[in-house]
Amino acid sequence: MQTAPKPILAARRRRQLHPFFFRISPVGLSICSVLLISLMAVLYLSQLGQAVTANQAIQTLHSRQDTLAREDQDLVYQIAQEQSPTYIEEHARAMGLIPADPKSVIVLVIAHLKPIPAGDQHIQP
Amino acid sequence: MNAEMQRARHRQMFIFLLVTAGMLILLGRLYYWQILQSHSGYNLAQLAQDEHLQNQILDAPRGLIYDSTGHVLATNVIRDDVYIEPVQYSIDHPNYTQNDLQTLVTQLHQALPAVPVAMLQNAFSTGIARGQWAVRVAIGISDQQSQQLQNLQLPDVFLQPRTWRTYPGGTLAAQILGFVTQNDTDNHGMYGIEKQYDTLLQGKPGSFTAETDLQGNPLTFGPDSEQQPVSGANLTLTIDSTMQNMLQNALANAVKQLQAESGTVVVLDARTGAVVAMAGYPTFDPNNYGNYANQLGCLNSEGVYLNPAIDCDYEPGSTMKAVTMSAGLNQGLITPNTTLNDQGCMSFNDAPTVCNWQDLAYGTETMTGVLIHSANVGAAYVAHNILGASRYYPYLQQFGFGQYTGIADGPEDAGSYRQPGDANWTISDLTRQAFGQSILASPLQVAMVYQTIANSGVLMQPYLLSSIDQNGHVTQIQPTVKRRVISTHAAQLLTGMLEQAAVKGFAQLAQVPGYSIAAKTGTATTQGISDTQTEASVVGFIPASNPRFVILVKLDRPQKAIYGSTAAAPLWGTIAQQLVWYYNVPPDLPL
Repeated sequence: MQTAPKPILAARRRRQLHPFFFRISPVGLSICSVLLISLMAVLYLSQLGQAVTANQAIQTLHSRQDTLAREDQDLVYQIAQEQSPTYIEEHARAMGLIPADPKSVIVLVIAHLKPIPAGDQHIQP
Repeated sequence: MNAEMQRARHRQMFIFLLVTAGMLILLGRLYYWQILQSHSGYNLAQLAQDEHLQNQILDAPRGLIYDSTGHVLATNVIRDDVYIEPVQYSIDHPNYTQNDLQTLVTQLHQALPAVPVAMLQNAFSTGIARGQWAVRVAIGISDQQSQQLQNLQLPDVFLQPRTWRTYPGGTLAAQILGFVTQNDTDNHGMYGIEKQYDTLLQGKPGSFTAETDLQGNPLTFGPDSEQQPVSGANLTLTIDSTMQNMLQNALANAVKQLQAESGTVVVLDARTGAVVAMAGYPTFDPNNYGNYANQLGCLNSEGVYLNPAIDCDYEPGSTMKAVTMSAGLNQGLITPNTTLNDQGCMSFNDAPTVCNWQDLAYGTETMTGVLIHSANVGAAYVAHNILGASRYYPYLQQFGFGQYTGIADGPEDAGSYRQPGDANWTISDLTRQAFGQSILASPLQVAMVYQTIANSGVLMQPYLLSSIDQNGHVTQIQPTVKRRVISTHAAQLLTGMLEQAAVKGFAQLAQVPGYSIAAKTGTATTQGISDTQTEASVVGFIPASNPRFVILVKLDRPQKAIYGSTAAAPLWGTIAQQLVWYYNVPPDLPL
């Protein structure tokens, strides 16, 4: 006469046969696994795609930054060149101007005017 | 076990052994490549890492140089070098013909007209024959050319950007600034400020390491490290571009007009020792420094790159008489009214006879008269009969003769003179040094003597650098007192004597209406050559009553006028006039 298994042993056996709390056939389990792996792959590829896109955007920005830095240096050079006395003199001469003769400067002497303290640059004309 | 089963067992065993042997062989090869060869001569681990890792040196931008008014004197621009890839071309076009190559070369030539077609074709052919991956065919092309080449998208041609040092003013302050060598591997400052402050200007390069994609672009994911470059310090100089330009033009005109070999002008702030302007002629354009490699300045004795104000010493001539008078006045051994009997020549028991210019005799002559007449006899008399060697030479040392001024870490001429204790020194050296012979000094050293007199007897440290900006951390350079050389009283007496010398003596062409000046002329000759081959100079300060600027003018071997009074004095006057006008210095004399 076969005796019925004890309740704890019966539960252990059930857990060994059906590890999940729901019952799933081997085919179902395979399909689920494939779907899960596919989902993970899609997620990974999506993340990778976003990273590559971000990388390209950063590369573009780097390139733009380099271009702007180059343009900035060119503008600094251009300003420096056009502020240079050599350049100004050259263009002034080209416009027909001639260097002023300091000896022709007329100094007006105003009587009783308080003398300007030497070295005080702020109040000099 | 039957025979069938045994054969099956044997087959299984054979397959097992075969697989095991294969696995062992693979394991062996794995050990060989991964362990033995990975760090061997092939350095496979490094090669593998290099394949997907990018190590890049990030260049630090070189610091800019400004003048005292904020104008840029030296800056950087990026320009492209053009490279061709001969080997890649032969791989991309295995069956290429000369016509194919000709088409490519012609297109390249249209963008780079300065590079001949034959040269480009030769570069390709030679490169392919020699297996060269990259050959540079043009350097520093213009932006327009870069754009044109980018639009053309020529195969196997690429652009490599490179930073170039540029000087917007061209020759402006070239001998002060120096230049930066433009080599492929080594860009460093040569001469002047560029050399002296090269370490500060260069900054510190950074580095960047990251994994790359197939095109070599760094990836944002994966391990990377970046150390940002530290930009070079920006330097501000004490010179003023406007005055520097005026000075250079005036000097160049004077040298050409008088048919001189070369010339030097120094303008100092009389109170601080700051250099306001400093010029030499001939000079060079640092943007094209290579074109001047064979040119000489400083009486054809030095390269044109050197600054003659500090690197070209000369016999100061009569401008040294101020030093002799300083020594006498400071020790209370003479006054402006001390007299001597000047017969045109003076004999000494222990030294050769000294004579005035054209042996002119002035009879009873005061010390002020000695400066007015620029009398050699009077100067020799003071040095020999009144001072003596023991009371004269300490003043040469105190004024800084024979020593570096300290304005430059690089090459600087300290000058030289014989003194007691030296092997060849004789008393003749003393009598001649009193009026500026038998002594060599740089123009800056002589200018500093007059700065001392103008600054009530206090010698300042001459300086060119006003401030250093190291990425926002600004260090201001303050004027520094070197030492007191003569008393305030002696300096005032000497200033009065030099004023008289300028008004009544040989510096009359240097006068500026409305302003008092204290100046002395000098005309030095060189032994062994004609007396007409002179070094004409004037040095002094303006206004004499409240000195603002010390000016030294020196012209080497002028032909049209040979004396300090006729050759150098007019230029001194022009520069002084411009200075007082430009800086709004109020007149101190009735007009």
